[in-house]
Amino acid sequence: MVVRIRLSRFGNRHQPFYNIVVAQARSARDSKPLEVIGTFNPIPQRPTNLSEEEARTAKAYKEISLDRSRAKYWLGVGAQPSGSAWRLLSLAGLVQENKKVQN
Amino acid sequence: MAPRIQNPIGSNSLLPYLSSSSTSSSFTPLSSRSQRSCRSFSSTIVPQTRLRNQMFLWLQHQAAELKHHKPGSTNYLSQIIPGSLFPESRPFPQNIHYRSESILSEELRREIHHRVVVRKKSVRAVSVELKVDMRRVAAVVRLVELEKRMTQEGKPLALPYARAIHEMVPTTPLYDQELRAHEEINDLPVHRLTNPQIFYPVSESRQFNRVDAGRVFSAAPALEQEQAAKDAADDSEFISRITQNPSHIEVVGKGEDEHQVLQPADVRIPHPHMISSRRAQNLVPQERTEHPKIYRAHLQKAEEAEQERKRRSEERKGKQTQRVQPEDSRFEFRINDVVVSQETTGKDGRNARAPGRRYGVPSYDRKKGQVKIPTRVEV
Repeated sequence: MVVRIRLSRFGNRHQPFYNIVVAQARSARDSKPLEVIGTFNPIPQRPTNLSEEEARTAKAYKEISLDRSRAKYWLGVGAQPSGSAWRLLSLAGLVQENKKVQN
Repeated sequence: MAPRIQNPIGSNSLLPYLSSSSTSSSFTPLSSRSQRSCRSFSSTIVPQTRLRNQMFLWLQHQAAELKHHKPGSTNYLSQIIPGSLFPESRPFPQNIHYRSESILSEELRREIHHRVVVRKKSVRAVSVELKVDMRRVAAVVRLVELEKRMTQEGKPLALPYARAIHEMVPTTPLYDQELRAHEEINDLPVHRLTNPQIFYPVSESRQFNRVDAGRVFSAAPALEQEQAAKDAADDSEFISRITQNPSHIEVVGKGEDEHQVLQPADVRIPHPHMISSRRAQNLVPQERTEHPKIYRAHLQKAEEAEQERKRRSEERKGKQTQRVQPEDSRFEFRINDVVVSQETTGKDGRNARAPGRRYGVPSYDRKKGQVKIPTRVEV
C-alpha cells in the first residue's frame, strides 16, 4: 500500500483548515494519520500593521506551516504527495513544480 | 405671570456655537416669548408656586450670566457660586468630588503632532515635555494624520461637534503656567497582583523595599542579600536591565499559573528613568547641569535598545518564515517552519505544541459555558 502526503480537512463549515499529513493511501481522509507534518490555512489573510502605500500594494497571504526535514524524509522513503500537497510542497521548494497537477 | 419654560422651537441653544456672534444673536430672552403659552387648550390661569417664582427670579438675576455661553470655556453652575474651587471643572456644585477630566486643546494636539511628525522627536520625549501619556501622544498623531487625509480627500470633518465638546468639558492648554500633567495620577493602571492584601512579617533588621514587595505579591522567594544590595545601589542600571530585556524577567509558578515576578512600580511606570533622575537630583543637587544630560543619555540608550529589540524580533520572524509569491497567483504564501518530534507531539501524539489540529482531543469551542472573549488584559 502506498504512503501519501495529503491534506485532511479540519475546521468548521465555511472555515476550512487542513493538516498536511502522511497517511496510508486507502485510509479515510480524516482518520488518524501516520504523522502530521504541517498545516495549510486556505483562507487568505489580510496583512496588518502596514503603511498607507504598502497596504495598497500588499497581497493577501495564505499560511502554510511545514516541517521541512520530516517532509524530505517522507519523500525520500517514497511517500507520494497528492495533487494539492504537491502544489504546497513545490511552493516550499521540496519537489519540482508540476504544471498540470491532476486530482 | 412669570414666564413658563419655553419649548425649544426656534431656539438653537443646544446646537454648537460656531462663533461668539452667532451665540448672542441666536439667543432670545425668555420674557419676549411669554405670550406663547404651551397650554393652548386650557383657559384657567396656571397658579405659580413660590418655588417656581423663586426659580424664575434666580434665572433672571443670579444665573443671568449663564444664559450667554462664553465660547472657549465651560458654562458650569459652579461659576456663579462664590467661593467654589475649580469652577471651570466642577459641573455639579453639590458634588465636590466630581471633576470633569480635561481633554487636549486644539493647540496642544497640533503641537504634539508637530513635534512627533515634523521635528521627528520620539513619542517618549514628547510625552515627557508636554506631560501627556505616551499612548495618548501616539493616538493624537494617528488621529491628526487621519484628519489630514480626510481633508485631502474632501471629506467633511465633524467640526461643530468637536467645538461643542471642547466647550462642554475643560481643556488642557498648550502653555500652562503650572505645567500640570494632562492625566490624573489615578489613571495609572493597578496591577492585578497587587490587589490582595497580604500580611507579611519581616524582621526589623531586614530592609524591605518595593522590589521585595513585588516578590511577595507574586509569591516568589526573597532575593539574595547581595543581589538586592546591588539593585538598590544603582537604580538606573536596574531600570535599564528590566525595561530593555522584559523577556528576561524571572518567572515563577507552574503551568497555567506561570507568571513573571512583579517588578516595583518605579520600573513599571511609563517613564522610569525620570524617577531615578529626580532622585539623583535630590541626592546630589550641586550637579544640576549634569542630571538632564545623564537623563537624556539614558533615554537615548533605551530608545536604541528598543529599536535593536524590534529589529532582532523582525529578523527572527523573517528567518522562520519564507515568503513565496507565485506569478500566476493572487496570493502570497507564507511558509513557517515547525518541528514535528517527540518533544512537540508528546508520547501519545496529542500535545498541543505540535503543528496541526489534534486527533482524539475533543474541541470544546461549541460547548456551553466556553468563554471566548479574553477575560484578562496584561498591563
